[in-house]
Amino acid sequence: MRTKLTVNTRDVSVEAPPTETLLTTLRDRLQLTGTKEACVEGECGACTVLLDGRPVDSCIYATAAAAGLSVTTVEGLCGLDGSLSPLQQSFVDHFAIQCGFCTPGLLMTLNALLEANPDPDREEIENAIAGNLCRCTGYTQIVEAVEAINQESLS
Amino acid sequence: MTGEVGRSSIRSDGAAKTTGKAIFGTDVILPGMLHARLLRSTVPAGRIISLDLSKVVEFPGVHGVLTAADTPNQRSGLVLMDAPLFASEFVRFEGEPIAAVVADTRAIANQALALASLEIEEIHSVGSVEEAIAPNAPLVHPDWESFATPPGLEWPRSGNIVAETSSDPEGVDEAFAGATTVVEDQFETGRQYQAYMEPRMAVAEFDGQRFTIHVAHQFPYNVRDRVAAAIGVNPSEIRVVGHHIGGGFGAKLDTGLEPYAALLARRFGRPVRLANDRSEDLLTCQCRDNAVIKIRTAIGKNGELLARDVDVLMDSGASATDIPFLTSIPMHVFGSLYRIGPVRIRTRAVYTNTAPTGAFRGVNGTHLYFALERHMDHIANRLNIDRLEYRRSNLQPDGCKLPTGQVLNDAGILSEAFDAVEQLAPWNGLGQGPNRGVGIAACMWLTNPMPGSATLKLNSDGTLGVLTAATENGSGAIATGVRQIAAEEFGLPAEKVIVTMPDTDAAAFDAGSQGSRTTHIVGRAIREAAIEVRAQILDTAADMLEAAPEDLELANEMVSVSGSPSKQVSLAEVAATAQANSGPISGTGSYTTPMPPINPTCASGLLFPAFPTPTYHVHVAEVEIDPATGIVRVLRYLVAQEVGKAINPQAVRGQIQGGVAQGLGYALWETLQIDAGRYSQRTLEAYGLPLATDTPEVEIALLEHPDPAGPYGAKGVAEPPIIPVAAAIGNAVEHAIGKSVNTIPITAEHVLEALSNS
Ligand code: FES
Ligand code: FES
Repeated sequence: MRTKLTVNTRDVSVEAPPTETLLTTLRDRLQLTGTKEACVEGECGACTVLLDGRPVDSCIYATAAAAGLSVTTVEGLCGLDGSLSPLQQSFVDHFAIQCGFCTPGLLMTLNALLEANPDPDREEIENAIAGNLCRCTGYTQIVEAVEAINQESLS
Repeated sequence: MTGEVGRSSIRSDGAAKTTGKAIFGTDVILPGMLHARLLRSTVPAGRIISLDLSKVVEFPGVHGVLTAADTPNQRSGLVLMDAPLFASEFVRFEGEPIAAVVADTRAIANQALALASLEIEEIHSVGSVEEAIAPNAPLVHPDWESFATPPGLEWPRSGNIVAETSSDPEGVDEAFAGATTVVEDQFETGRQYQAYMEPRMAVAEFDGQRFTIHVAHQFPYNVRDRVAAAIGVNPSEIRVVGHHIGGGFGAKLDTGLEPYAALLARRFGRPVRLANDRSEDLLTCQCRDNAVIKIRTAIGKNGELLARDVDVLMDSGASATDIPFLTSIPMHVFGSLYRIGPVRIRTRAVYTNTAPTGAFRGVNGTHLYFALERHMDHIANRLNIDRLEYRRSNLQPDGCKLPTGQVLNDAGILSEAFDAVEQLAPWNGLGQGPNRGVGIAACMWLTNPMPGSATLKLNSDGTLGVLTAATENGSGAIATGVRQIAAEEFGLPAEKVIVTMPDTDAAAFDAGSQGSRTTHIVGRAIREAAIEVRAQILDTAADMLEAAPEDLELANEMVSVSGSPSKQVSLAEVAATAQANSGPISGTGSYTTPMPPINPTCASGLLFPAFPTPTYHVHVAEVEIDPATGIVRVLRYLVAQEVGKAINPQAVRGQIQGGVAQGLGYALWETLQIDAGRYSQRTLEAYGLPLATDTPEVEIALLEHPDPAGPYGAKGVAEPPIIPVAAAIGNAVEHAIGKSVNTIPITAEHVLEALSNS
């Protein structure tokens, strides 16, 4: 079946079985491999993308259900010249990355958080990312990367 | 000097990893690539009655299948040749591969595999270490005697006992006979799944002559050698190319899927991708071994530790993997930290019908120190002495000897680590109040000595290339540490150093990211290479500046004449001049840590004889227990860690924070119950990884005692943070509830059970 949607501001039209997940469409059909596959059970958040600004686990979301909606993936976060967004830059500056496999999903979840709540406190940040597993960092430097943005935007 | 060493320079892979541009192993797509899946055993032990794959082969889009009948299928292994590629007559663990199918897409491979007709007659499985050593236990491998070992390497093994290390020094029984007090404990510790976020994968291609295998692997050279042995070709017929690694923690040190992908690529003439889904990854991963540890200590009238007797039973699962090395580790642990008389140690690793266990950050150190440090608490409590005070008054001094005979010249550093945690938060102020407790635990750990190398090349634009087969598994060892050391050598900013991704065709051997070795070993190899490169730079610059090489200085990307700084040339000019006149500037260095001397007769089966480049650490945990639910909340967590020299303090902090989080998972939540050979938990959620909301910020004190042999003094960093966590948490929980919980994990149910046993 054919589904039309917008991916990172570009209109796309995909021919896929009705059961195909958004993750498979993104990774295998559109070759947008920035979105990661780690469990395919909706348990880890590595596959998080934004659907009309709302974070969803793309591994358990049917592409067909995204018809007409706007999908943002990690590839859609940086500027047109490839420059990093403030959140991406803050992840780099604050050592919020180790292996980096959880990073795209975390960035999407946190973009949605900051959109809704530009100045979250530590607890709000931790609650927001409680569905994103990171096995490497122990989370502290991720939380600090988000806090640093707030401080910068406040000053 | 630019001061790169000691500075928190950002990671070289930061931009790639935040933009989604970093290509991990699982992202590798090759033209014409096919997709494979494995048919795996559904039972822990059984006899294959029949296997019919005709419907699988006929399924549209399937290219074919492979089974034991189509492959050389000799047994192979890291140290004991006991693992076949495909089970043929018997299956020995749930998840063991029986056949492989290759198809146009992963979905087709899955659909086709569902049509396989496989009949297995289940037989009695050996599901636990106790069952494995019981008299008349069924043998997991009745043909164990036929398994080959590498030339010159032998150790005691028999039947279900895959490896035994034992030491029985004089005087143990006499000391127990004369003891004032004897304290005895038994600890049971569970398996821990590495649970890296990127499931294991491999992509292989065969060009008619040689294989190329694309991996996200901690140890590419091991992939090369292990695949070669498993499929019967020469190592040089295989090229291993490393991509970004989505976490490994030890589970990506041995081969997994690579041999299958290689065989399929050759047989079906196209590149083949084979990747685990999460549940098969969990089922078949070489987890941290579960163990049963019995420990008994004889104590004199002044509280002195007269002697000790330790019995360790480790679960190797259905094959040996690296476990025969790990049975040596108790010899380095149970006589460390505190002054003690003779220590008798028997460590046996046994076969069971479960997935093979193996390396996980800190290997069995996590449960061995859990036993040692929980036991120390029990001794102090029995003697009615404060637990910290008792430890401090028994600390090993500089120059002490381990049961192996290894001398620890710097053991006194541990005392400083105790001081450092006291400064972070005084012991007497912690764990006060109802349902609260505090625990303390220490450890001594090694820096893995295995060899590595680096080739440096000065590019004509003044940047420096570093060619190495070492891997960046997330720790920052390559993305920060090694890069900064190379930069420091030539007065460059870190951004001007480019470290290659691993490729076994290009770079010399490296033993992989294991045992906290990469910064220490590869950093030192870089310093060796830099001697040669520096000489070439100075010779060339001397000609250009008409000065003697010994009068030249190298700093801030310039070579200048001492005393007349206006006479200078840039590194870029030097490189370009050398390239045109005498040839490009490059040099190679190698390093491996010499093993400290030991007494070779101290034990039998001591395959891992010493702990080179030791480091010393103390952890303190403060917890609060909810008596209604049994849930343990970690209020504060303190770490004093000795690192030699922190090349990148923020990266070091990341290793400590992340390692402690994994240790908390191990201590409190992560559960793999084994029921008759099968795991009860089969998803990430059921397994119970730590979440952002569970993990406190770790308070850290770094101690720096530079190692003269290490690059700028650096020692290993990444493993120690996970090692004493379970011990510190266990001690804190016992302090809080006044009851002993001697198992790992210490789940809420365990706490409730302990509370109800009054
Ligand atoms: S891959 Fe989608 S939640 Fe884990
Ligand atoms: S950085 Fe490795 S999983 Fe988060």
